This record gives sequence, structure tokens and C-alpha cells, in this order.
Amino acid sequence: MANSNNTEPKKLLSKHELNQIWYRWGFTHLSSMSYEKLQGHAWAYSYLPFARKYYKNDPEKKRRLLERHSMFYNTEPQTGQLINGIVASLEEQIALGNDVSEEMPVTIKATLMGPLAGIGDSIIQGIIVPILLSIGMSLAKGGSPVGPLFYIIAYGIIGPTISYIAFHSGYRLGVGAIDTIVGENSKRITDAFNILGVMVVGALAANTIVLKTIAKIPQGGKSAPLQGVLDGIFPGLLPLAMVILGWWLVSSKQMTATKVIIIMVVIVTLGCLVGLF
Amino acid sequence: MNSLFFPALLTGIFCYLGAIETPWLFGMSGGFYIVGRPLVAGLLVGLAFGDIKNGILCGLAVQAVFIANLSTGGATNSEITYAAYGGIGLAMATTKNPAIAVTLAILIGQTFGLIFYNGRMALYSFWNTRAEKAAHENNDRGIVLNHLVYPQITTFLLRAVPVFLAIYFGKGLVNWLISSIPEIVTHIIQVLGGVLPALGIAMLMSIVIKSKPHFIFFLAGFVLLAFAKLSMIAIVFIAALVAYLYYLASGKNTVSTAGSTVGDNDQTVNTDDEYEDEDLF
Repeated sequence: MANSNNTEPKKLLSKHELNQIWYRWGFTHLSSMSYEKLQGHAWAYSYLPFARKYYKNDPEKKRRLLERHSMFYNTEPQTGQLINGIVASLEEQIALGNDVSEEMPVTIKATLMGPLAGIGDSIIQGIIVPILLSIGMSLAKGGSPVGPLFYIIAYGIIGPTISYIAFHSGYRLGVGAIDTIVGENSKRITDAFNILGVMVVGALAANTIVLKTIAKIPQGGKSAPLQGVLDGIFPGLLPLAMVILGWWLVSSKQMTATKVIIIMVVIVTLGCLVGLF
Repeated sequence: MNSLFFPALLTGIFCYLGAIETPWLFGMSGGFYIVGRPLVAGLLVGLAFGDIKNGILCGLAVQAVFIANLSTGGATNSEITYAAYGGIGLAMATTKNPAIAVTLAILIGQTFGLIFYNGRMALYSFWNTRAEKAAHENNDRGIVLNHLVYPQITTFLLRAVPVFLAIYFGKGLVNWLISSIPEIVTHIIQVLGGVLPALGIAMLMSIVIKSKPHFIFFLAGFVLLAFAKLSMIAIVFIAALVAYLYYLASGKNTVSTAGSTVGDNDQTVNTDDEYEDEDLF
């Protein structure tokens, strides 16, 4: 590969320049999100300093760089930084004139964004955020600011840390990182995290859903509150019934949230009118 | 009325900062995941209205319903940021009742929130086209303007202004509605506020419970809190232990899949058993 029009020797990206790619994408990944491009343009934006470093005297190569990083792209933006790391190492090789085709970064982006969105969404949106929120919610009982502050600090550290580690391990491992993501061991770890998530969601259900009956049942001459009897058998039986109904409607019946809300409104309205709740 | 100006304005600005597309707080990590959460919104709106306690109580109630707000692939079924700031803000401007905050949040999220959200997603295509053209022309400044500057001005106008107007001018309407509805409706809304978190949790279950036997872990978590009255933090530790044991056990499974047919058969029988149990439930 001849770098005829560029006489100065080319160097690897410095730590600072790598971090620049990381935070430029990290800050602006969804800044111009539309259904058409989603996170696409954040790539071009994050490679502007890179283009100034390597393609100062080569507008044609710079144009190709910006164009191949203006295409549709969508993944979980925190775990997804792994892809940005891999691509940064590939782009660096291309800029240095090593034997990596310009198609390679595009292919890597297209093949990895799906799997990483799957892993990232289920771990971050399905497990980490609900766990931290549920701890925060239990600390916020009675209106204490400790709850929200706990969540702000905890996620404020965890979110960017995941993003930083993902980017730099992606860069370090390069294309080799792909085995780590789709390998057997990563599936076991994801499954185990899932179990953690399921248990916490169970506790969350018992903690957040409030449904008590105000009906009374006759006992001999006088009447006793039905809720007391239910609590003796299974505390939280009504909330549990409600959440199982909701789960069944959402997962087995494939209902949308709006339909489930309507069904719950009907149940509660009827229950209130007959004096059950 | 004048004292409402700054709280409403601040709430509008927070609504912009908590949006999924806002870059200032490390993108989605600080915006959508932190400022956008109703629990945090409760604290911030509480600060804006000078009543932290009631703000957090409203935030807590709204958070329970939106615990599983998911945004996968850019699609969303309820706009959480408008819902949180519009609902909590209006509730704080009127009754400060958490049940009212939940009702308003759902109404706003499902209607106006979605309209504004989808409208913005469509509008941004216009900036995208221009950014792409800029990339084609090697125009660095054009990329910055059309990726960062113009879209953010658009979204600021679409977030801060409607929320400000809704709180500033909606107060009278909401007050009138609350005072004119009969008592039974208030009671229904109150009960509903307690029940609707079941929907959020049900949606969370539908992503974390990947096979029916996992339901037993859900039940275990429920029982640990409902019967044993353990704190949430204690349950997280117990769950981590169970998850670790599960990890070790699943490793044993993959090693022994050398003679895979036997293992596979075992597993299918197992799931079928549990599946039938589940249907009986």
C-alpha cells in the first residue's frame, strides 16, 4: 500500500484519540435518531478527529470513511461500544495502510449490532436498571431523597463504566472479540444474570403492587375482613394474581400495553362497583 | 399563577434533559436511564416545586407503573419522559396526589407523548438526509450541525415547550376535573394506581422469563418479600447466589453434552412437566 501523497509516517491512535472516539459516540449516539438512521450519524461524527489525523491530505479516503459511517446503525448503546472498539481497531489498520478491506468495518457493524442489542437490552433494561430502581424505590418509601440519589449515583457509575470497558476491550481484542460475545460461556453468564433478574422481579412484584380487598365475610354472627383471611393463607395473593394475569396477557396472548391497561381498568372498576376493592 | 412559571419551566427543561436523544449527560446513560426515570423525575420536579417529599412520592408511584419501560430498536409503546415530567409536574401543580400523577402520566404518555415522539422521529429524517449529504461532500461542519445542533434545537422545542405549557395552563383544567369527578371515580383511580404496576412487572417478566420453569424463581423472589419480609437488598444478594449456582450447574451440563442425546431428552421431559404444571395454574 503506497501512501504516496502523504510523506509523514503514520502512528497508532493515542489513548486520548481513542477516548475521543469513545466519548464522541457515547455522548451523541442518539442525538439525531430517526427511524431511518437511528444511531447512524453518530459514527461519522465520532470519526471527524480521526479523519483529520489520518486523511488530512486525502479527501477521497476521508469521504469514503465518512460515507461508510453514515449508514443505518442501531444497537444497545452501552454494551454496543464493544463494536465501536473493534471498528476503531480496524479503521486504524486501514488508515495505516495495512491489509484490511474497507468493507470490513461495515460488515462487522451490520453483523454485530443485532446480537449486542439483544444481550445489552436484556441485561441493562431487563436486569440492571430494574434491580437498581427497585432498591432505589424501597429506599424512597415515605418520600426519602436517598432512593433517587442512590439510583442516580449507582447507575451514573455503572452505565458509563460498561460503555468504557466495552469500547476498550473491543479495541484491544479487535475481531477476536466476536468469539467472546457469541461463545458458549457468554450464554451461560447471560442465563445466570437472567435468573438473578427473575428473582428480583418477583420481589419487586411483591413490593410494588398494592391490591387489597375491602369485602367482609360473615363468620358466625359477626363479619370479618376478607383481607385478613387471605393474608393468613398467602400474603400478597391478590397482587400475585394480578401480575400473573398481566404476564399471561402480555406473553401468551401477545397483547399490547394499552389493551392490558384497559383490561385492568375494567377489572378494577367492576371490583370497586361491587365493593370488592 | 405567577409562582408556577419557574417550576413549570424547570420541569420542561428536565423533560428535555431526560429524553432518549439528549447528548449532554453521556447520551442515553445519563439522560434516558437516569434523568428520564420517573423516580429521579420525582426528585427533580420536587426540587423545582420546592416540595421534595411529595415529588418523590409521586415519582415513586409513577416509577412503579413504568418499571419496565422498554425501548428496543427505537420503538416505544409509551413515551416515558413526557409521561414522567408531564404527569408528575401537573400533579405537583395541583393536588400532589400520587394516584393523580400516575393517571396523568399514563394519559400523557400514551397520547401526547407518543404523538410528539413519533413526530420528532419523522422530523429527524430531514436532518439525517442533510447530514448524509454533508458526509458525501466532506463537510465536517455540516455533519456537526445536522447531527448535533439542529436536531437538539428541534427536540428542545418539542420537549420543553409543550411540558411547560401543559403545566402552566393545564393546572386549571386538571383542578376542575379533579373537583368535579364523583368520589367513586377517585376511589377507582386510587385502586388503579396500586394495580397498574402489575403491567410494568408483567412486561419485565415477559423479557426475563425465557422458559416456563424460570417462573419458579419469580415465585421465590415474591415469597422472600411477601412472607419473609426481607429487604430488597438482601433479596438481591440471595438472587446473586442462586444465579451463581445456576451458572455452575449449567457449566456441568455443557461439559456432559458429549453424549448429548441423553442430556437433551432429559431436558425436554423436564420442561414439558413444568409446562403442564403452568397451564394448570
